[in-house]
Amino acid sequence: MNTILKLEHIQKYYGNKGNVTKAIKDISFSVEAGEFLGIMGASGSGKTTLLNCISTIDTVSAGHIFLEGTDVTEIKPKSLARFRRENLGFVFQDFNLLDTLTVSENIALALTINKTPAAHVEPRILDMAKKLNISDILSKYPYQVSGGQKQRCACARALINNPRLLLADEPTGALDSHSSQMLLSTIQSINEQLGATILMVTHDAFTASYASRILFLKDGEIFMELRKGSDSRNAFFDKILNVLTMIGGGQSHVC
Amino acid sequence: MYAKLVFRNAKRSVKDYLVYIVTMTICVTLFYSFLSISSSYYNPDIGSAYDFTMLSDGMKMAVCMITLLLLFLIQFVNHYMLRRRQKEFAVQSIMGMEQRTIGRLFFAETLIMGIISILTGIFLGVFCSQFITAMLLTTYGKSYQLSWTLFPDTVLLTVSFFMLSFLIVGLQNTRTIQKTKIIDMLFADRENEPERKKSRWIFAAAILFELFTVWAFITGITKVLFYYDSRFAFPVRLMYFGNILFPAVTLAWSVLWVFRKKKWGFQKLLCGLLACSVLNALTAASVPALTNRYYLPLGNGMLRQYLLFVLMNLLFFICAFIYLASYSIITWKEKSLEHRYKEENLFFFGQILSKLKTTSKTMTLICTTLVLAIFLFIAAPILTGWASGYLDIHSMYDVQIFTKYNNVYDEKELPQDDYETVTDFLNEHDIETAYDCTFNLYLPRKKDFGRRIKYDFPIVAISLSDYNTLREMLGYEQISLGESEFTTQWKPIAAEEELNVFLKENITAETDMGILTLSSKSHYKEPIGETVYNSYTNVLYVFPDSICEKLLPVMRNRYITTTEKITYENALQLEKIFMAAYPEQAENKAAYDVRFSTLQMNSALVGNFILQASMIYGAVVLMVICLTVLSLQQLLDTGKYKYRFCVLRKLGVEETHIGKLILKQLGVWFGLPIAVAVAMAAVVTGYFTQTISAEISAYIGRTALFIQIGITIGILAILLICYFLSTWILFRRSVHL
Repeated sequence: MNTILKLEHIQKYYGNKGNVTKAIKDISFSVEAGEFLGIMGASGSGKTTLLNCISTIDTVSAGHIFLEGTDVTEIKPKSLARFRRENLGFVFQDFNLLDTLTVSENIALALTINKTPAAHVEPRILDMAKKLNISDILSKYPYQVSGGQKQRCACARALINNPRLLLADEPTGALDSHSSQMLLSTIQSINEQLGATILMVTHDAFTASYASRILFLKDGEIFMELRKGSDSRNAFFDKILNVLTMIGGGQSHVC
Repeated sequence: MYAKLVFRNAKRSVKDYLVYIVTMTICVTLFYSFLSISSSYYNPDIGSAYDFTMLSDGMKMAVCMITLLLLFLIQFVNHYMLRRRQKEFAVQSIMGMEQRTIGRLFFAETLIMGIISILTGIFLGVFCSQFITAMLLTTYGKSYQLSWTLFPDTVLLTVSFFMLSFLIVGLQNTRTIQKTKIIDMLFADRENEPERKKSRWIFAAAILFELFTVWAFITGITKVLFYYDSRFAFPVRLMYFGNILFPAVTLAWSVLWVFRKKKWGFQKLLCGLLACSVLNALTAASVPALTNRYYLPLGNGMLRQYLLFVLMNLLFFICAFIYLASYSIITWKEKSLEHRYKEENLFFFGQILSKLKTTSKTMTLICTTLVLAIFLFIAAPILTGWASGYLDIHSMYDVQIFTKYNNVYDEKELPQDDYETVTDFLNEHDIETAYDCTFNLYLPRKKDFGRRIKYDFPIVAISLSDYNTLREMLGYEQISLGESEFTTQWKPIAAEEELNVFLKENITAETDMGILTLSSKSHYKEPIGETVYNSYTNVLYVFPDSICEKLLPVMRNRYITTTEKITYENALQLEKIFMAAYPEQAENKAAYDVRFSTLQMNSALVGNFILQASMIYGAVVLMVICLTVLSLQQLLDTGKYKYRFCVLRKLGVEETHIGKLILKQLGVWFGLPIAVAVAMAAVVTGYFTQTISAEISAYIGRTALFIQIGITIGILAILLICYFLSTWILFRRSVHL
C-alpha cells in the first residue's frame, strides 16, 4: 500500500510573542491509499485546525505535509486554489451548497471550475448521481430536498473530480440520526467500492465507528490510535466509547 | 436601555446603509438649495427691471412636487432594511420584547439616520445654493457674488418635509412589524426567493396592453373612415393603414395564442407582443411626424392620443423586454452547453437569474424612470434654449404695439390711431426714446380683405422706408429697391424649402397698382419681430413707398426702443393704461395689443428658469433614485453573496476569478437597465428633436444642441461611474471580509 498523505511534526501556533496558543503541538501520522481515517477529539482539541492545515486553507507554523509526495506547505499561495481543486474534495457540516443552482448544477460547478470539457459534464454527473442514489433529485434546488440528500449531493460534488483525498468535516453534524446512518453507509460504500481515501473529522462516536482507523486528539497532540481490524462496528463503537471515557467527558457525546 | 440599543443599532447600520444616507443627503442638499431661492429672506440683486415673487411660488411648487418622488426611495430602503433585520426582530420577540416596542425601536433607528442625512444635507445645501444663485443670475444676465446665509424658512420647510416623509414611512413599517408573525420573521431569508413570490404584474401589463391595442385599433378604423383620402401621398396612406394593420396583428396573435396556450406558454405570447409593440409604436409615432410634414388636417387631440399610444407601446416594450431578459438567459443557458459549462459560468447564471426573476418589476420601473430622467436632462436645454431663442425674436423692441384685423369686416373700422396715450405716458415719466416708428401694413390687393380662412390669409406688405427704419432700429443695414420691384422678409422659423418654393412660384406680385417683379436680392431672414406678419403667414412683402401709398392699410403698428430699460412697475402701469384705451377683443373691431420687453423678459425668464431648474432637479433626483436602488439591491444582499463566494473559494476558485465574477455580475446588473434606458431615451429624444427640428435650427442651433447633449451625457456618466465604483468597492469589501 502506498502512502497518500504524510504529516511530519506539524505545529500550529496562534497569537503573538507574549501570548501564544498552541493549537497543534506536534502531530505526525500518515494515511494509506483507500483508508477511511477518523479524527476525534473534544472541542478545542485542534481537529479543525488540523483539517484546515491539510486542506491548505490555513498554513502550518512548523512541519511538513506531503500529499502524494508533494509538499503542500511549499506551494505558492497563487497555485493553492488550483492544487486544492485538483487534489482535494470537501464535505462540510452545513453542506455549503449554492441555493441559486440546482443539485445537478451544484455538482457541475465543481467540474467546470476544473475546466472539464462541456460534453463530458452531464454524463459524469449522471454516473455519480447513480452511485450516490440522488438521480431523481438532480433538477431540484437545495431548499427543496432533505438534509441527507443535500449532504449526499455535497459528497457527489466533492467526489466528482476524483480527488486524491476526501476531507469531511463533521458531515453528520446537521443531520438527524436516520439521515446520518444513511449518509455514513454511503460514505463507507464510497470508501469500499470506489476506493476513495477519506479523512473525516468528528466528535461523534457513532459517526467515527464507520472509520477503519481513528486518531484521538487531545490538547494538540495525538492521544491514542485505534484500529478497527476485524472487529464488528458495534464492538468498535464500544472501544471508542471507552477511549472517550478515558479522555474524559466522552460520555456526553454518545448519541 | 432601549435608547442604548437604538443608538448601537443605528451606529452599526450606518456602514450597511452608507449609500442610502449619502443618497438622502444628496436629496436634502438639492431640495434645500433649489428651495432656498423661494425663501422670503432671499434677495439677489437682479435689477429693477425684474420682479421676483413670481419665481418663488413657482419654484416652491415645482421642487415639492418632484421631491414627493423621494418618498418612494425612502420607502424602498426602509422595506429592505426591514427584511434584512427580520430575523433579529424575531429573536427579540421570542425573548419577550413586545412587537410594538420592536417596531418603535426600528422607527427610532431609521429616524436617527434620517436626521443625520437632513443635517448634513442642509449644511451642504448652503454651499450648493450658491450654484443655483449663480445659475439664476446668469439667466438674468447679472454677475454674481457668493454669500453664505441660512434661510430659516427654507430650513423649516426642508426639515418638516423630510421628517413628515420619514414619519409616514416609519409608521407604515411599525405596522408591518406588528402584523408579521414571529415564525415568518424567523424564516424570512431561509430559502431562495423565486418560487415563493411569483409576481403577477406582467400579466396585468399584458392585459392593459391588449386593451390599449383594442383602443388603437378602433381609433385607426375611425380615422380612416373620417379623414382618409386616396389622393394622400404614399407614406400617409401607409400611416393610415398601418395604424389599423399592426394593432390587428397584435390582437390576432393574442387570439391565436389563446387557442394554443398549452403548447406555447406565456413567454411566446410576450415575444410576439414585444415585436408588435415596436411596430405599433413606429406607426403611431409616424402620425405626428407626417402631420407636420404633409400638413394633414388632424387636430391636437388626435396627435396627443397617438403620442399616448406611442408611450404605452414603449412602456410595454420595456416591461416585456426586462421580463423576457431572464428567460432568454435561461434559454441561452439551456441551449449552449459550451457556455453553460465554462468555468464559473454556472455560478454567474445562478446569481443573475435568481436576482432578475424576483426583481423584474423593480428593474422595469428603474428602466422607465431612467428613460424619463435622461429625456428630461436632454429636453431641458432644448426647451429653455427654444424659449429664450423665441424670447430674443419676440422682444426685439422695448415697446411693441400691434393690431390684428381678423374681426374687422368694415374698412372704416380698420385701425388709424397714432397711440398718443403711450407718447404721453413716456413723456410724463421722462422715458427717452431712441427710436419710435409708427407704420402701416398694407394689403397688396383690396379684394383679399375678405380672405379669412385659416390657411388662406393674404400676405401683407410694408413700405420700403418703414422697413428700413425697422432695420435701422435693430442695427441691420439698409436695403434699396428698383421702381417696380419688391422683396420679401421671412420669419426665422420658415423652412428653407417653403421659402424656395414660394420664391420660385412668385417671381411677380400682383397689386392694385400693377404687377411688381422680384428684386435680385429676393429675401431677408434677419429676425425683425413676430408682429409684422399677418396671421398664419410666415412672410412679409416689402414694396416701394410709391406703391404702398395707394394700397389699403389693414394693420397699424408702433415700435419703440428706449435709451434706458423701462422699469417693471412702469411697464405694468403703461400696459394697464393701454389696455383700457385700446381693447384687446371687441366685436367687429380691430384687436390691439402691446408688448413690453421688460414684461416679456420677466415672465419668460421666470418661466425659463423654473422650467430648467425643475427639469434638471427632477432629472438628477430620478437618476440618483434609480442608481441608489440598483446599488442597494446588490449591497443589501451581500450577506447571501458572502456565503456563496465563500463556497466558491472553498471549491478552489482563484481570487482573480472571483474578482472577475463580481465585476461581471455588477456589470450586468447596472448594464442591463442602463443600456435599455439609454437606447430608449435615444429613440425618444431622437424622435423629439426630429419633430421640432425646425424650431431647434431656428432658435438654438445644431452645434449648441450637440454641446448640451454632450454635457448631459457627461453628467450621467459621472453619476453612473460614482455609483458603480462605490457599489463595486463596498461589494468586494463585504464579500472578502
